Amino acid sequence: MKVVVIGAGLGGLLSAARLSKEGHTVEVFERLPITGGRFTNLEYKGFQLSSGAFHMLPHGPGGPLARLLKEMGDDVRIVRSEKTMIRIPLKKGDTDYRQGFRDIPFHDFQKPLSNKDRLKSAYLIVSTRKDPPEGSTLQEWIRSQVKDEWLVKLADSFCGWSLSMRSDEIYVEEVFEIFENLYRFGGPGVPMGGCKGIIDALEKVIMANGGTIHTKSEVSKILVENGNTAGVVVDGTEHKADLVISNTGHAATAGLCSEILSDEKHAEYLRMLEGLRPSAGIKICLSAEEPLIGHSGVLLTPYARRVNGINEVTQVDPSLAPPGKHLTMSHQHVAPENVGKLEEEIDMGLQDLKEIFPGKKYEVLLIQSYHDSWPVNRASSGTDPGNETPIPGLYVVGDGAKGEGGIEVEGIALGVSRTMNKILG
Amino acid sequence: MIGKLVETRMKINDNCVGCGQCTSFCRQDAIEVRGKARISDACVECGICSPYCPVKAIEVTV
Repeated sequence: MKVVVIGAGLGGLLSAARLSKEGHTVEVFERLPITGGRFTNLEYKGFQLSSGAFHMLPHGPGGPLARLLKEMGDDVRIVRSEKTMIRIPLKKGDTDYRQGFRDIPFHDFQKPLSNKDRLKSAYLIVSTRKDPPEGSTLQEWIRSQVKDEWLVKLADSFCGWSLSMRSDEIYVEEVFEIFENLYRFGGPGVPMGGCKGIIDALEKVIMANGGTIHTKSEVSKILVENGNTAGVVVDGTEHKADLVISNTGHAATAGLCSEILSDEKHAEYLRMLEGLRPSAGIKICLSAEEPLIGHSGVLLTPYARRVNGINEVTQVDPSLAPPGKHLTMSHQHVAPENVGKLEEEIDMGLQDLKEIFPGKKYEVLLIQSYHDSWPVNRASSGTDPGNETPIPGLYVVGDGAKGEGGIEVEGIALGVSRTMNKILG
Repeated sequence: MIGKLVETRMKINDNCVGCGQCTSFCRQDAIEVRGKARISDACVECGICSPYCPVKAIEVTV
């Protein structure tokens, strides 16, 4: 088969690598001069910052992405983070970190609860595995079970860090699918070389199997003949293909074949696309000589105003920063109503970091924000419309078509695996 | 200074989301990013940053 992939982001390159390894002729077209999309390194002042993702795989070496890479003979080393910690105020009743704080391991999350709520949560941990809750948002569900607002705070911090959503924006089913995946695949890990370590390895697989990647090549149209996908147009030239895989999200993909989709029978699909909401977030990259976190895992910060969590990837791969320096990155969810007020959101994030790291010396390297057409996720978790389109032979992969319960890039990998199963049988 | 009084060649439009990708490719350290990119006086208008923008926010006029 001749396959064209639109976009050299993680989803596009995973698909291209897999299909070229199966012996298909694969051609990738990327609009930008660089590959990797929001999953590669940006070199800045000697640091390996990232174009989006946090140099971290939510399920580390045991997750769907790592498995997919292994299947393809990819030799990237992914190092499991030693722990996930939660920063809580030193004194019970304090609502911020200003009077001091301590860090507790994630698995001790019930500790700050009252005895009664602690018992209830211990019961829920067991009972919900058999019978996962459904039919409400995560926040509504938590409030229906325990009195203490602590779990809502923690849920906001966890969902903010891992999905860039708030607990009242996500359905409880999706979150419990994520919990199940945490049991199944384990917690996060850092790929050696950061995001680009994985992108480079995928490109190696594509090249070794005769595939080609064109940068600075924008696809302007998807060709459809007799109702089936027939190829693409790049810079005025037609490239015929049996299969087109788009890594640009459902909405942008539909825009490339809008004539065909304007037919009345596709109205429902187009209406569904209008309802898709990308998620927004802010990443603040810090440089410090002394470690700010001191371990390779995530530090969740539920008592901060805006910052949801922070990682320090140089704990695993020191080459991501110049010698003697650490790279520490914080993430904060931006609510849809605050996307217009990014500077205020950034100020709150910077103030949070001062209170999370009091007395520590650090420099703010770069502040990066993501929303709308270059978002955290093209489809917020739990709203992904799947990988198929109304046009046979045209598939969508990437962060606009993640698999269920898949956090960020793990969701991309699950979506790609599902698509490959459909294509390869 | 006179050059700055004349219309500059480069402009950042409303597509900008503030992802900072441009600044990592700027050789003059002339782009400040805080919710949106801003071009500073250090810009030599080389235009190198423009194709790296994922949302076509850097307009270069010839």
